[in-house]
Amino acid sequence: MTQDPHAMSRRQLIRHTAWFGAAVGLAVAGGEVISHVAGAASAERAAVRPTVRFAQISDSHIGFTGSANPDVAGTFGHAIDRINNLGYTPDFVIHTGDLTHLSSSDQFDQVKQMMSKLQTPHVFTVPGEHDSVDDAGQKYRSVFGAGTRGDGWYSFDIAGVHVIALVNTLNLKKLGHLGVEQLEFVEKDVARLSSDTPIIVFSHIPLFAMYPDWGWGTDDATQALSYLSRFSSVTCLNGHVHQLFSKTEGNVTFYSGRTTAYPLPHPGDGPAPKPVTLPAGKLGDALGIREVSYTKGQNALALKERPLQ
Amino acid sequence: MTFLLRIGIAASLAVSAASHSYLYIHGYHYIPTIGTAFLIQASISFAVAVLIVLGGPGWLRWVAAAVAGGSLVAFILSRTVGLFGFSERGWDPSPHAAITVGAEVLTVLLWAGALVKWPRPAGLASPSSISPTSVTERR
Repeated sequence: MTQDPHAMSRRQLIRHTAWFGAAVGLAVAGGEVISHVAGAASAERAAVRPTVRFAQISDSHIGFTGSANPDVAGTFGHAIDRINNLGYTPDFVIHTGDLTHLSSSDQFDQVKQMMSKLQTPHVFTVPGEHDSVDDAGQKYRSVFGAGTRGDGWYSFDIAGVHVIALVNTLNLKKLGHLGVEQLEFVEKDVARLSSDTPIIVFSHIPLFAMYPDWGWGTDDATQALSYLSRFSSVTCLNGHVHQLFSKTEGNVTFYSGRTTAYPLPHPGDGPAPKPVTLPAGKLGDALGIREVSYTKGQNALALKERPLQ
Repeated sequence: MTFLLRIGIAASLAVSAASHSYLYIHGYHYIPTIGTAFLIQASISFAVAVLIVLGGPGWLRWVAAAVAGGSLVAFILSRTVGLFGFSERGWDPSPHAAITVGAEVLTVLLWAGALVKWPRPAGLASPSSISPTSVTERR
């Protein structure tokens, strides 16, 4: 009986197993060290109370009826509970649009009443295209437009951070649109700021070209972003696409947020962005809120995604 | 030659691991899925780099090439169709993206180089190429 020349002897097998074990052990140890360093860095930042802490909530679509979510008011209420139980009081809560599904007065009343339960000093909003059905956002502005300018845009400063809330859902053709007046507002608004001021921008439709075929982009956003190019930290948060997505372009980081209503398909997955009905018990994973914190001296904002599950 | 290739693969892999670790620590661990992927990439790369330097078996070089190649594919996806809902543009974050891609390309090239049977300079023969028969014949 001849032995296969390629056969591994027991000694070789033990040796290879030992190397494999060493590889696994070292990888685990290395991973522990790296995550410990990252954790220590986070803890160091956390030891100093973040300069600003806020929560983002989006696309509640109050009034929607469909199999994708038969109880959008219930899931929105759940999202509000999540925010009220973060363990601290956020400096503000921002709703990044599509508060209602069809812009009816009843839906605006309901969403306003529900949001009054948010335990935070300030609640801000920007309109989605579902909040301006047939009336160019008049009902939206009558309920949520106090203190805003133009068609509902505004800015404010909080603890050294400059926040800009933009409206890109009016004058929609296919993509989101800001318009000349709003672009001038952005240009003048940031002209007085020093370049090390952290900037946070809210809008409903993404300010980056996430998937233009479905209208997931803003046709004149490049102009607005050009006014922000000199700032060292610019973070843009949006809703509309009902899913997490992030992108960095130079000094600007874009983050799309989850919805509290129903998921939409991934970009290009199917002919159109129609509500997706998930198997029973899976909806909560697709819905969620976002915690955001900024600590002075850091360039990047820290985001924590909180599913409703 | 093999020793130098081994050191080269380990060094380039370690550079990629260091770059991924840096990005993970400085913000990427907040990005869903991508953060975890960076941590796994860095820890496996570090481990494999160390074991290759210590003279580990050849399959470690295949693992090195697979990790580096996989990272390059992920880099391309993140610049085109997106990866787990994450996308970046060009060589952002600079200079880490360029350093990492350079290191990973080098890892793959060195791995491929290690597979090639390099012709030995005339007059030199490795001990393993001298069989008992050839020794007898020379006598």
